[in-house]
Amino acid sequence: MIGVLPLAAIPPEDEALRPAIREFLRESVPQIPPERRARSWMGFDAGFSRALAERGWLGLTLPRDHGGAGRGAFARYVLSEELLAAGAPVAAHWIADRQSGPLIQRFGTEAQRRFFLPRICRAEAFFCIGMSEPNTGSDLASVGTRAVREDGGWRLNGAKIWTTNAQHAHYMIALVRTSGAPGDRHKGLSQLIIDLGLPGITINPIRDLAGDAHFAEVVFEDVLLPAEALIGEEGSGWMQVNAELAFERSGPERVLSSAVLLDEWLRWLRQDGAPEAATALLGRLVAHLAVLRAMSVSVTGRLVAGESPVVEAALVKDLGTEFEQAIPALLTPLLAEPGQAVPGGLMRTLAYTAAMAPSFSLRGGTREILRGMIARGMGLR
Amino acid sequence: MDELLARSAEELFARLAAPERLRGLAPSEAPPGLLEAVEEAGFLQALVPEAAGGIGLDPSGALPILLAAGRFAVPLPLGDTMLARAALAMAGVSPPPGLVVLAEPWGSEAARLPPLAGAPDAWALLPRGDATLLLPLAEAEAVEADTAPGSAVFRWHRSGGQRLPVLDLLAAGAWAEVAVMAGALQPILEDTVRHAQERQQFGRPVAAFQAVQQQLSVLTEDVFAARMAAQLASVPDGAGVAGLSRMRVAAAKLRVGEAAQRAAGIAHAVQGAMGITGEVPLHRLTGRLQAARLRFGGEGYWASWLGRQVLADPASDTLAFARAHLGPAELETTS
Repeated sequence: MIGVLPLAAIPPEDEALRPAIREFLRESVPQIPPERRARSWMGFDAGFSRALAERGWLGLTLPRDHGGAGRGAFARYVLSEELLAAGAPVAAHWIADRQSGPLIQRFGTEAQRRFFLPRICRAEAFFCIGMSEPNTGSDLASVGTRAVREDGGWRLNGAKIWTTNAQHAHYMIALVRTSGAPGDRHKGLSQLIIDLGLPGITINPIRDLAGDAHFAEVVFEDVLLPAEALIGEEGSGWMQVNAELAFERSGPERVLSSAVLLDEWLRWLRQDGAPEAATALLGRLVAHLAVLRAMSVSVTGRLVAGESPVVEAALVKDLGTEFEQAIPALLTPLLAEPGQAVPGGLMRTLAYTAAMAPSFSLRGGTREILRGMIARGMGLR
Repeated sequence: MDELLARSAEELFARLAAPERLRGLAPSEAPPGLLEAVEEAGFLQALVPEAAGGIGLDPSGALPILLAAGRFAVPLPLGDTMLARAALAMAGVSPPPGLVVLAEPWGSEAARLPPLAGAPDAWALLPRGDATLLLPLAEAEAVEADTAPGSAVFRWHRSGGQRLPVLDLLAAGAWAEVAVMAGALQPILEDTVRHAQERQQFGRPVAAFQAVQQQLSVLTEDVFAARMAAQLASVPDGAGVAGLSRMRVAAAKLRVGEAAQRAAGIAHAVQGAMGITGEVPLHRLTGRLQAARLRFGGEGYWASWLGRQVLADPASDTLAFARAHLGPAELETTS
């Protein structure tokens, strides 16, 4: 059985970051139209990421001597939820800040830390994560992209797909096979840091329903990598990938993906009046938001305490993405009332969010995978 | 303190309100000795200030008692009485001995009461116009029986009783039901998981089927969310009885009510609908959930009320509103 999630609050020293962040966002974000802000952590703007970096808000959790702020996960939590709620375009640095930086800090060599971390903190090194392949989705252990040792380095062949922001990133941290065959499952997998400017790499952006290209296919043909492209231990890729999952799955990005739509709708209701059905739905969504946020904060508290609440994080992600997907689904009939003059920006925000919502429960582990993990946590398998 | 209190409450209920002692009793019947033991343990005084002879806990401190009461489907209005005593103490009125229930107006004349048979010496607090009335049950006349498992509607002919100022008994009562529901969901989850592991069909435990696993994961999520909602509702930063916040209670009553509905459906399905009989604890537990959803405003009532609060706070986006009024707060330890 899983332990009860205690009520945990964000420490005051981390809450203290919030006013400055809100102030900065009030100045820099409202001019972006809502349908663009709805892109949330898929909205790319390198200049915006650099502006955050100038204020010391990238790499909050990375050590000071590598350019970070040396703060804890709660500081980053405050920053993240404000950025996401405002719909700030954070995609450029998002993955480096959330995953790649902490991964390099934890598993990298001192030389790798010295090279990458300051660049991440200055918004000069953007990362993507190479996991899925044409034949590898939820079954990540079946990875077929292969790196073979050669002349003191690696020769890489294969392809990654659905890689978020690969076309904008400087580096990819890829899960690849360095020994054995796909049948060996998670044995023989390693993580490599790939400089995406190297010869032999082709990046093909993939257009989505909303007309954006958030994702790309990345093909590797005899790409020669130096020995130090390996991050962590050879053969430990699976363990390293899993080590960060609780952080990735329990954060505010699993609750707030539809926040811009929700707030745009609220703004309109305040302006034009709210019928009873809308009022009730608003109350319901805010209640769900509050409970999810408390669960997410509680899991963060366990992470800060050095625990690895992977099952609890799965629980937050599944409930959180259900909430995110419910917002466009439940708003749609209310915005279809005959005779209403709904603001165009709100309708475009709905269109975008409704079109992208299927990805909310897919990215970072599918609903079925997460529910399987919860079932395992409950002793059912 | 929390854990100590939780343990002593669970031990007491395990001894005196175990499922086998409740089997065959109506939802309104308490096993012998239970009320006396609860009074003896001081649970009913939990929310009364120390200055007034109580234990002086706030709702977060008293939550473990009601979670335990929910877990054992204790057939006594413990939350009602705890809150009524706290409300009476706030009004400077010394409470009558024994149980005091929170009555809900049923039209302009009558009132709906929770299960109470066998306690004719109990009292009721009833909001009426610009006052709250403290009325003896001995003088009440039954109007409708069994409006929910064990509940009934009563009327007082004499419009007497002791008059107290208006109190937010709706939110107070809703909090108690939230706590009991969150408590009841815990054994519902545990029993259902155990059943799925033990029950064999097609040559294997039904827990081995992915379709069943996925259902149980959803059940788990709702149980955890309900518990968190109950904890959030217990943060004593409001102006209501015992410091309850109407905003927090509103969010919790609707969230836990939704969880209760979905959870009961899954639990009954996985347990092969055997819970429609009185043979398994699920029957009494989900009956209690149903009664709790019907008391002190349902999901829709509180959703609309909370929605109006959000609309009326023009400075707040949804996250800011949730942080300001419904956030997890660091609790001072009451000891």
